[in-house]
Amino acid sequence: MQTLKLLSAFLKVNIQMSLAYRADTLVNILLNLMWLGWELLSLNIIFNNTDTLGGWGIGELIALLGVFRLVNTMMIAFIWPNTEKFNQSIRDGSMDYTILQPVNSMFLVTFSRITVWRFWDLILAGVLIVVGVNMSAATTTAPQVLTFMLLAITGMIIIYSLWIVLIALTFWFVKFDNNVTILQALLDAGRYPATVYPVWLRVIVTFIIPIAVATTIPLQALRGELVSVQILGFVLVSIISFMVASRVWKAGLKQYSGASS
Amino acid sequence: MFLIFKRLWQVNWAEQWQYRANLLMYLLYWLVSPIIYLAVWTSIANVKGSVNGFTANDFTSYYMVLLICDQVTSNIIIHTFAYKIQDGSLSGELVKPIHPMLTNALVNNVAFKMLTIMGLVPIWVILFLLFKPDFSGVSLPGVLLSIPIMVVAFFIGYLLSATIVSLAFWTTRVYSIHEFYFAFILLFSGQFVPLPLMPKLIQDIAQYLPFQLLLYFPIQLILGKLTTDQIVLGYVMAGVWLAVSILVFNLVWREGVKRYSAVGA
Repeated sequence: MQTLKLLSAFLKVNIQMSLAYRADTLVNILLNLMWLGWELLSLNIIFNNTDTLGGWGIGELIALLGVFRLVNTMMIAFIWPNTEKFNQSIRDGSMDYTILQPVNSMFLVTFSRITVWRFWDLILAGVLIVVGVNMSAATTTAPQVLTFMLLAITGMIIIYSLWIVLIALTFWFVKFDNNVTILQALLDAGRYPATVYPVWLRVIVTFIIPIAVATTIPLQALRGELVSVQILGFVLVSIISFMVASRVWKAGLKQYSGASS
Repeated sequence: MFLIFKRLWQVNWAEQWQYRANLLMYLLYWLVSPIIYLAVWTSIANVKGSVNGFTANDFTSYYMVLLICDQVTSNIIIHTFAYKIQDGSLSGELVKPIHPMLTNALVNNVAFKMLTIMGLVPIWVILFLLFKPDFSGVSLPGVLLSIPIMVVAFFIGYLLSATIVSLAFWTTRVYSIHEFYFAFILLFSGQFVPLPLMPKLIQDIAQYLPFQLLLYFPIQLILGKLTTDQIVLGYVMAGVWLAVSILVFNLVWREGVKRYSAVGA
């Protein structure tokens, strides 16, 4: 309950902050639409030259683009701005104030900054997924849609956990500004099905920086390619990685000794 | 003048060398999308035999050369200069008797480029061993002819970006404008896919724009895919666009500096 109250407070503050820069918000939305146009054009170019990409049709790739945009929104709306604030707070010691609050510090650090206008991307993503699923030739059943949603969430939890571990490393190596660049760098790999990538790249985006776990895997569930053992496996992995991440976070906090004191 | 450049080089080289870890991250960041396009298009070509005349090897060699050309012809001036106009730190450079954009910032960009190219070499070799492209079409004259084109293309791209950065004298939204400009490059340079695979309309427009000189033209030149006529035409285009970009940049810069109000001073 308290968590929800805090979240709505964060939201309110961030809405006010973005309202101060209305013209910027508008320009950003226009740019965002431009990139959507580019993404659809590039899919169009690909499918002018072929019928399937790694066995997937254009409908499935549009749905994949929707899922990719979900992950992308999570990155841009939460992960980048909060990382920036966090790195700053480690360097100048303002992390002190965060720890003093009677709330879970991990929660505070990960949700206090929100790029509010990005939420409209969620609507876009939803539209892309629905349109894509309708365009794909295969018929989808209700359980497939449900596992798709479940795995999209577990995928995002796994990425979130990895992020926590990456930024927690800053507690040990204070000048570690590049802590999330590796996430940012490989994000683009989520736009296309990982099954078309060469093996080494597939291994990287599945096991090391698991972008594909939040993009390709849910889509595979939607296509009914996953068996229940695999689905259960992903749910388990997401729970375990979240637990590991909280552990690492706590260990990191113990390392923290302030900047000047 | 030579002494000035020599000293600027020493300073900027030392400065960039300090950030070598950042450079490596930048390189990683920038490598991913060409490799993804490579994977996507070779997988299509492998299924269909060839796409519009392009075989899997054509795609592999195209993107492998693209990695080099992009590193040579691209620039980072938007990241290293725009903020100076916005926060007023340009003032100190304006009183010096040398052009801030065409000396210090330029040398800084070239030093950055040298270091990233040094970082790219081992990565490129690894990718070469992974993808095993067949470079039998590459000839020495093609490679030699592509070098002046890439140098000129770098200057054209640099001046056009510098023009956009100079818009910061008028508006604070210069980063958004640059993002828009970047989409143009993506569309017309052959970054996503070799231009013949783009829609007809885009191909027609791309012919007259300078962006294909950044990537598509030098890549095809190196791979030995262009006829003599096409090469001559490319050289003429490069000359014309270099002249245009020098003119446009000088005009915008001169008007911009007049408006400069040195924020924070």
